[in-house]
Amino acid sequence: MRAPERIAELAPASDEIETSLYEVRKKIYARAVSGLFARWRIALVIITQLVFYCSPWLIWNDRQAVLFDLVSRKFFIFGLVFWPQDFIFLTALLIISAYSLFLFTTVAGRLWCGYACPQTVYTEMFMWIERKIEGDRLQRMRLDQSSFGARKFGLKALKHGIWIAVALWTGFTFVGYFTPIKTLAASFSPWVLGPWETFWIFFYGFATYGNAGWMREQVCKYMCPYARFQSVMFDPDTLVITYDAKRGDPRGARGRKADPKSVGLGDCVDCNICVQVCPTGIDIRNGLQYECIGCAACIDGCDQVMDKMGYARGLIRYSTENAVKGKYPDQEISKHVVRPRVLIYTGLLVLVIMAFIGGLMLRSPLKVDVIRDRGALVRDAAGGQIENVYRLQFINTDEHAHRYELSVSGLPGLELVVKQPLEIPPATTQMVPVALHIDPTGLASGSHPIVFHIQEVDRPGVRADEKSRFFVR
Amino acid sequence: MGKWLMLILWPSFIVVCIAEGVFFTLIDPQELYLLGEPIHWSATAVYSVGFFLFWAVAAASSAFTCFLQRTAGDVNRQS
Ligand code: SF4
Ligand code: SF4
Repeated sequence: MRAPERIAELAPASDEIETSLYEVRKKIYARAVSGLFARWRIALVIITQLVFYCSPWLIWNDRQAVLFDLVSRKFFIFGLVFWPQDFIFLTALLIISAYSLFLFTTVAGRLWCGYACPQTVYTEMFMWIERKIEGDRLQRMRLDQSSFGARKFGLKALKHGIWIAVALWTGFTFVGYFTPIKTLAASFSPWVLGPWETFWIFFYGFATYGNAGWMREQVCKYMCPYARFQSVMFDPDTLVITYDAKRGDPRGARGRKADPKSVGLGDCVDCNICVQVCPTGIDIRNGLQYECIGCAACIDGCDQVMDKMGYARGLIRYSTENAVKGKYPDQEISKHVVRPRVLIYTGLLVLVIMAFIGGLMLRSPLKVDVIRDRGALVRDAAGGQIENVYRLQFINTDEHAHRYELSVSGLPGLELVVKQPLEIPPATTQMVPVALHIDPTGLASGSHPIVFHIQEVDRPGVRADEKSRFFVR
Repeated sequence: MGKWLMLILWPSFIVVCIAEGVFFTLIDPQELYLLGEPIHWSATAVYSVGFFLFWAVAAASSAFTCFLQRTAGDVNRQS
C-alpha cells in the first residue's frame, strides 16, 4: 500500500483549482494531437466501436448472434447459449476481466483508460466531431468567448445535433443487445416501440451524450472507482507516463539554434503543449497524478516539439519509476516485466481461463426449458379429460443429431400426448409442443407440481429433468 | 447540490447494476408475486421497475450516509 503515498509525494500541491469536488471546473479545451499513440487510440476507437455497433446485426444459425435475451432469460453469444443456471460462467468472465485489468495495470499502467475505456472512446469521438465543427483549441476558445450570434448558434446547434444523433444511435444499439435489434429497428415505422425500450434508448443515449459531451474528464476524476485504486496495482517497475525532469529541467524558452547547455537550460522549452493536449488538464511535469488517464497525448505532443527543436524524442515517455531514478537504463525496462506480482496475476488469470474453457466444454449437451402456454391454462379434451399444453424448448448443443424419450411424473395418471422419440438436429434449438391429459375426477383444483424427464436414447448419461406445473380447474 | 446528487446517485447506480444482475439471474420475474397476485407485466417492465426500485433503495442508503457525514460543525452552524 505504499503506492498511493508515492503519488502524493510526486504530485506537490497541485496548483490547479478544483480543490473541492465539482465546484470550480475550468472547461478544458484539449488541443488536437497526432502521433504514434494518437494513431493507436484511433485504431482502438474504430475497432471497439465496430464491434459494439455491428455485433447485434450479425446472424448466427438464423438468430441474432449476440443477444442477451432477457425475456426468454438466455444469453446467446454466437454458438454458445447461456442460461441463468450458467451464471457461474458470467462470474468467471468478470473475474477474468478483473485480473486482466490488474495485469495490464501492473505492467503498463492505465492502458485501459487511455485506449479502450468507453469513457475515453466516446469522448474521443465526441471531441472529433467538436473539432470538425468548431475547430481546434484556439478557435473553440474564441467561439466560446464570442458573443452569441447566428454563427455561434449555428455551430453549437450542429454540434449538439450530431452528438445527440450519435448518442441515440448508441442507445439504440445498446438496447439492441437485449431486444432483437431487427424487431427494434422495425418498430420505428410505424412507431410501435415499447415504452420501456424507448425509455432505455433515451436513458443510455442521454448518459452517452452527458458523459462524452459534457462530463468528460470529470467522470475519470470523480466517478471512476478504478481511477481511485489503480495505484494499488502500481509498483516501481510499472510503465507510466513520465516527464524526465533530469533531462528537461530547468525549463525555459530559447532560440532554436541555441545550445541548451550553454544557456543553462534543460530540454523542456516550456511551450506548454503537453498541458494543452491533456484531456484531463494536468501538467505531467508535476509528476504522476491520479488524474492522468495514461492517454499518452502529452508524449505525442512533446515528441513533435522535440522534433522541431532537433532534440531527441522522449522527454515525456513511457518509463518506470525505477528507470527514471536511474536504477536501470530505459532499455532494460523489458527485463523487469517479469516479477512476482506479474507472475501471480498471470498465474491466476491462466487458471481461471482454463477453468472457464474446461467448464464450457463439459457443459451438458442437452438443455430443456418448459414454457407454459400462459394464455390457456386448462382445456377440455376428449373423453372428459382435461388438457394442459406446454412447449418444450430442446437445445441440443451437440454437433450431432440426437433422439430423446420424454416422460412425466408428479401426478399419477398423466398421459403424454407427443410423438416419440423426438429427434433434434445438431446444435439447434427446437420447440416441441406437448400436451398432458388427465381425468380430473378427484383432483384438487389448483396447480400441481410435475416433472418432465428427458432421456437421450443413445447415451444413458445425457438426461434432464425439468419442473413445471399442471393446472386443474 | 449537484455534488450531492452525484455522490448519492452515482455509487448507488453502480450497486444497482450488480444487484439487478444477481437478483434477476437467480429469480425469474415470472415467478414474482405482487400483493399476492402473479405479476402479469412484460418481462422488460419487471426488469425496468426492479432496476428503479433497487436504485431508490440504494440511493436512500447513500443519501443517509451523506447526511450522517456532516461534521459537528456543519450541524451546529445550521441550528
Ligand atoms: S511539451 Fe515538452 S517541451 Fe513543451 S512544455 Fe511540455 S515537456 Fe516541455
Ligand atoms: S498527463 Fe499526458 S498521459 Fe496523462 S492524461 Fe494528460 S495527456 Fe494523457
